[in-house]
Amino acid sequence: MSLDLEELARLTLRVRRGMGDRPGDRRFPGRPEPAGIELEAYGAYVPGDDLRHLDWNAVARLDTLLVRRFTAERELVVHLLLDASASMAVPARDGKLAVARELALALAYVALGANDAVRIAVLSGDGATRVSPLLRQRGSLARAAALLAAVAPGGRLGLGAALETYAREHAHPGLAILVSDLMMEPAQVERGVLALRARRSEVLLLHVIGAGELDPGREFTRGVLTDVETGATHPIVLTPAARARYRELLAEHLGALAALAERSGAVYARLATDASVRAFLSVELPRLGVLGRR
Amino acid sequence: MTLGLANPAGALALGTVGVLIVLHLYGRRRAVPVGTLFLWQRVPAEPLDRRRFRPDLLFALQLVLLLALIAGLVRPYLEVATPAAERVRLLVVLDVSASMQAREEGGTRFELARRRARALVAQLLTGDEVMLVAAAERAHVVLAWTADHTRAQDRLEALEPLDTPTNLAAALELALGEQRARPETQVAVLTDLPPEASGVARAELAYVDWIQIGRSDDNLAITGLSVDAPPFHPVGDATATVLVRNYAHVERRVVLEARVGTETWARRELVLAPRAAEPVLLTDPPADGELTVSLAVDDALAVDNRARAELPASRPLDVLVVSATRALGAALGASVAGSRVRRVEPERLAEAEPARVVVYDRSVPPGPPRAEPALYLAPPADNPICPGVRTVDDAAVIDWDVDHPAVGGLQGLEALTLEHAVQLVTPGWGSTVVLGATARGAFPLLVAGERDGRRVACLGADLAGPLVSSDDVPFLLLLLSTLRWLEEPPGGAALLVETGVPVLAGPGAAEFHGPGLHVAGDPPVLLAERTGVYRVGARVVLANLFDDRESDIGREGGGEWPATVRPAAAGTAGTARRELGRWLYLAAAALLVLEWSAWQRRRPREVA
Repeated sequence: MSLDLEELARLTLRVRRGMGDRPGDRRFPGRPEPAGIELEAYGAYVPGDDLRHLDWNAVARLDTLLVRRFTAERELVVHLLLDASASMAVPARDGKLAVARELALALAYVALGANDAVRIAVLSGDGATRVSPLLRQRGSLARAAALLAAVAPGGRLGLGAALETYAREHAHPGLAILVSDLMMEPAQVERGVLALRARRSEVLLLHVIGAGELDPGREFTRGVLTDVETGATHPIVLTPAARARYRELLAEHLGALAALAERSGAVYARLATDASVRAFLSVELPRLGVLGRR
Repeated sequence: MTLGLANPAGALALGTVGVLIVLHLYGRRRAVPVGTLFLWQRVPAEPLDRRRFRPDLLFALQLVLLLALIAGLVRPYLEVATPAAERVRLLVVLDVSASMQAREEGGTRFELARRRARALVAQLLTGDEVMLVAAAERAHVVLAWTADHTRAQDRLEALEPLDTPTNLAAALELALGEQRARPETQVAVLTDLPPEASGVARAELAYVDWIQIGRSDDNLAITGLSVDAPPFHPVGDATATVLVRNYAHVERRVVLEARVGTETWARRELVLAPRAAEPVLLTDPPADGELTVSLAVDDALAVDNRARAELPASRPLDVLVVSATRALGAALGASVAGSRVRRVEPERLAEAEPARVVVYDRSVPPGPPRAEPALYLAPPADNPICPGVRTVDDAAVIDWDVDHPAVGGLQGLEALTLEHAVQLVTPGWGSTVVLGATARGAFPLLVAGERDGRRVACLGADLAGPLVSSDDVPFLLLLLSTLRWLEEPPGGAALLVETGVPVLAGPGAAEFHGPGLHVAGDPPVLLAERTGVYRVGARVVLANLFDDRESDIGREGGGEWPATVRPAAAGTAGTARRELGRWLYLAAAALLVLEWSAWQRRRPREVA
C-alpha cells in the first residue's frame, strides 16, 4: 500500500539543535543574535553594535547602554542517510529496502514542505556513499524520489565508518536521520552516532526490521543460514529452544540500540515491515517528539 | 462385508513417499540468506545430519495428503451383501438410424439421446448392471450385461448413428426377452419415434421407459434417383429422374445440382410447397460415369441431401448370331441403329470372328463353348447347357426378378405372350430371371448366370420372324436387355443399393468388412450402413438412403412415456461394491487446504 504524501503536508520535523549557517525559517531560541525579528534578550552594548538596536528607554531608566538581541532564524539541513547494504534485501519477502525508501521519501517531503534543506546519502555496501546535492525547494521532491527509487541493495557496509566519513565530509550541523536495519553490533552504530553528534547534529535512528527477523519461523525451520554480506554460514534447526534463544538475543539487541540512542542523545524508533508506515509517521514519530504539527 | 482393491497396481505410487522424504531431507540443507549472523552465531548450531529425520507438521500433512491420494488410486472398495431387489438392471435401447442425425437445439437427436443414456448409466449404483443395444435396421448388442459402468460410458461415447432406416421391433423384442428372462430388468428406449411406431404391441411397452427425442421437421430430401439409359444407345440419350421432397410444413427453396464425375451436368432452383414433392428430369448428360445429385440446403438432416447413381458407358451392339436363318439377325440389326450383327451357320461357327456376345438360335453346338458370353434362344432338349424339358404352347410371362440386372428397368413384361415356348429347368450355374406359365403350370422362361467364367443366359423362346407388330416389342426389349447384361464384363456396372437393405452381392464376391459396408454369407450378401461410394474388389457399390420414413423427421408431441409396470424384485441376493476412492480424494482435498493454511501461517504477511 503506497503512502499518500498529502496526508503529511501539515507535519514538520521538530529539532532543538543542528542550527545551520544560512538564514532560514527555523527559529533556534537560546542563541540570540544581533539582528532578527523576534526579541529574545538584551545585551550590554559593545562597540560595533548596531545603534539602531539600542534600547533608549533602558538607557534613560538604568543609565546603561543595552542593545536588543533577537532569536536566531536559520536554515535546517536534514541529512537522510539510507542504508543500502545487502542485508536490506533479506528476508526477500519482507521488502525492508522498499519500506526504508518509502519512509525516507516521506521524511524528505515533510522537510521540503517546511522549507528545510534535504541531503540524501545512500550508504552503499561497497563503501562508497553516494550523496545528493542539497535539495531546497518543494519541487525537488521528484528528484528525491528518483534518487531513492534508483537505490539497489548490495555489498557489505561498515556503518560506523561510513557515518564517520559522512560526518567529516559534511561538517555543518543539522538533523541526521539514519534509516537502516541496524543488524550489526550496537557498538558500530554508536560509533557512527557519536561522530554525527560531534558535528552538533541531532540524530534520529529509524530501525526498519523485517517480520521474518522478528519471527524467523515464518522463513525457515531448518537450513544453513548464510550472511548475505560476509558469506559466513551457520547451520540451524529452528527448534523451540533455538527460537526462544534467538528471541532473547534479539530483545537484547533492540534494547542495546535503544540504550545507545539514549546514551548518545539520539532518538530511536523501530518500524516492522509488516506495520503501517503511515501509522509510524502519524503516531509513533509524533509520540517521540520527532514530528509535530506546524 | 469385505475390503478389496480395484487397482492394486496403484500401490506402486507409494514410491513417491520416498521422494517426499528425500525432498524433505534436501530441504534441511538449503541455504537461507539472512542479513547478519551476529545474533544467530550465539544460537547453538544444529548438526544437519541427513540420516536424522525430524518431521514437522507441514511434512506430516504432506505425507498424509500423499497417502490419501495413493489410497484413492488403488481404489479400495467395500463389498456388502445386498438383496437383489436393491440392484438395478438397466437395458438401454438407443436408436442409431439415419433420422437420429437430425439437428435439434443442443445437438443432434443422437447426441441428445446419448447424453440422456449416459445420465441413466451415471445414476446406477455400484453393482447395478447395464446392457446397451443399438437399433437401426437391425438390433446390435453393443455391450452385454456388465457392472462396469465406465465401460458402458465408453461404449456409448464411441457409438455413432448410421445412415440406415429404423427397425425398432427387433431391438425391442430382444429387450423384452431379456426383461422376461430377468424380471428386475428396466428397459429404456431412446429414439425419435413415438411408441406407436415401434412395431410392438402397446401392452408390451408397459415395461418400457420410452423417451422420444426430436421435433424438427425441417428437411428436404432426394427420395429417388433413377437413370434410364437405353441399351446400346449413346450416353447422350440417357436421362435421369430425381425426386425431391419437402418434408417441412413451410415452403422451401433449394438448388439441385447434378454432376457426372467432376463435370457439372445441371443446376436447378426449385420451390417446394409444404410437404410437396417434385420430380426433376435431367437430359443430355455430358459424359458417362458416376452421377452425384445434391441439394444445396441447410436443413436438419444432411444424409438425404445427396444421392448417387451411374450413367453406364454404352457401346454399339456387337453380336454374332448362330442361326440357320436370316430372320433373327435381320431383326436385331434393324432394331438397334449402329449395331454390328453378323450371322453364321452353325457348322461354320469355328471360322467366325469373335464378337462381344454370341446368340445361338435353337442350337447348342457340341464341343467346348466359345469364350464369348452366350445367349441360347429356344435351346433344343437334352443339351448340356440349357436343360429344356419340352415345348409348350400359349405361354405368358407371369413374374420376373426385378433386381436382376438382366431385366433391370424393364416394364411391361407381363404383356409378353408366346405362341410357342421352351419349358426350361433352372440349371446349377444360374437362376430363374423370368417365369413363364401355361395353363398347366409355371416354368422358367429365362435363366441366367455365370458358367466357366462367362455369362450365359437361356431364353425359352425365339423371334419367329421379322418385327411386324407391336406385340413383338416386349420380347425384343427382353432380348436386348439380356444382351446388354451379357456383353458387359462381370462387375463392370456399379451396384446400386439402399442403406440397410441387404442385397445379393453376386457369385464370387469375397467377404468384405469395411466402415459402412459389409459383404458376408453364402451366397454373399451385401449390406451398406452408410451412404457413399465403395469399392469391393473390382465392383463399385453406390449406396443411397431413399427412405421416406427416415427423411420425414417431423414429430408431433414428443416427450416421455414412463413404464407403467415396474420390474419385480429378484429372488436371489447379490453383492454390491461401494468404492471408497472418491472419499479418499475428498479427504486429500481437505488435507490440501489444511496444508496450504499451515504453509501460509509460516509466510510473512505482505508489507503494508
